[in-house]
Amino acid sequence: MNRYEKAAAAAVVLMLAAGAAIFLYAPTDALQGPVQRIFYLHVSAAITAYGCFAVVLVGGAIYLRNGSFVADRFARAGALVGLVFTTVTLVMGMLWAKPIWGTYWTWDARLTSTLVLWIIYAGYLLVRRLAEPGRQAARFAAVVGIFGFIDVPIVHFSVTWWQTQHPGPIIVNDALPPEMLATFFLTMACTLVLAAVMVVIRYRIETLADGAVQAVSERAPIVSAREPEAEPVN
Amino acid sequence: MTNSFAVALAVARKDLRAEWRTRELVPALAQFVILALVIANFGFQIDARNAPSIAPGILWLALVFAGLVAFGRAFAAEREQASLEALLMTPASPVAIFAGKALAATLLLVGCEAVLLPALTLFFGTPLSVQVVAAVLVATIGMASLGCLFAAMVARVRARELLLPLLTLPLWIPFIVAGGQAVQVAMGASGSYDQAMALLVDFDILFVVLTSLAARFVLDE
Repeated sequence: MNRYEKAAAAAVVLMLAAGAAIFLYAPTDALQGPVQRIFYLHVSAAITAYGCFAVVLVGGAIYLRNGSFVADRFARAGALVGLVFTTVTLVMGMLWAKPIWGTYWTWDARLTSTLVLWIIYAGYLLVRRLAEPGRQAARFAAVVGIFGFIDVPIVHFSVTWWQTQHPGPIIVNDALPPEMLATFFLTMACTLVLAAVMVVIRYRIETLADGAVQAVSERAPIVSAREPEAEPVN
Repeated sequence: MTNSFAVALAVARKDLRAEWRTRELVPALAQFVILALVIANFGFQIDARNAPSIAPGILWLALVFAGLVAFGRAFAAEREQASLEALLMTPASPVAIFAGKALAATLLLVGCEAVLLPALTLFFGTPLSVQVVAAVLVATIGMASLGCLFAAMVARVRARELLLPLLTLPLWIPFIVAGGQAVQVAMGASGSYDQAMALLVDFDILFVVLTSLAARFVLDE
């Protein structure tokens, strides 16, 4: 096992521990019943997604400042992992909403802004795919990543800025019994570790992919020397 | 500073003169928004009772898609004639060039709004008040700064027709939320017009500042 596989195995074990705490240790909610157990992963995934998008923001800003491809690769990794966790948040939220609200989706400020967040970072990954690989893709994506982050505080404060159906912040309001709070913090920590491991592995993949692109472009002159009449691809 | 300002005005004047001589974009956009109203009429079964509640939505839908076309075209002529590189090779600052192009595209969109708003009043009987016009114009400032930034960005990317809406629409949503509320209130719904306008101005300031900071990285090659 190399160190990436070890880190991934550790993250899986931690998530299983969090799952055990969620289903075996945390008490059942008096009003909502077992459905409330979705809350632990739902909120943890949302906060983890914010963290991933902060990596995109910082990575993009550093790239624009000094052109560091290390920062850019971290931004790329953060966007993909953040998108995964935003998806988890949305799906978990919808599964919770069906029994509690009676519908999977409602055009509530928090739900809508989270969906917009998902679209923004899906767009970020599309820019990366469609722009010319290298400096152009990195620069454009950095701009999108910086603008896109504006939506993160909007998502976070939407429950206080607008009248919404979505439950407000209950962690900071001290509304949970200690067992639930402990389960939540354990899940939160495990999810953050999982995301960090995913970002590092993705960073490694991006490094290898960049190396492959570099190797191909270094061989390109030989090809073009053989075909001097070839039109430049544009 | 005055020099950059002069450059921006010169670029804007050049774009507006080109549009005046060809008269392509504004007539096309005007026809586009009229068609949007016709389609809305058939899609919604509009009568005198429901018109005030549906018209704001139609207004923003038509405006958003007309805006995408207008900003997409802002850099089209430069790209087709590869003149953007020549512009950028001059000593003028890229930010000033970007500001000039954004200004021209904004004025062209305002020209399209000058058709859309009276047409909305004519066909749907909604009031054409100062409040409605003010909300649309204030929203246009921020939407134009973002739209032009992304139009400049995708001008040199393949599949730009796909990317421009994908990038721009999510970031326009704050303007549609606040502008939509302002227009709904101006057309008779309950709510606070001043609060919506204040939010629009906040978003304008935020996005104009961010765009002017980011323009350098988008045009600089």
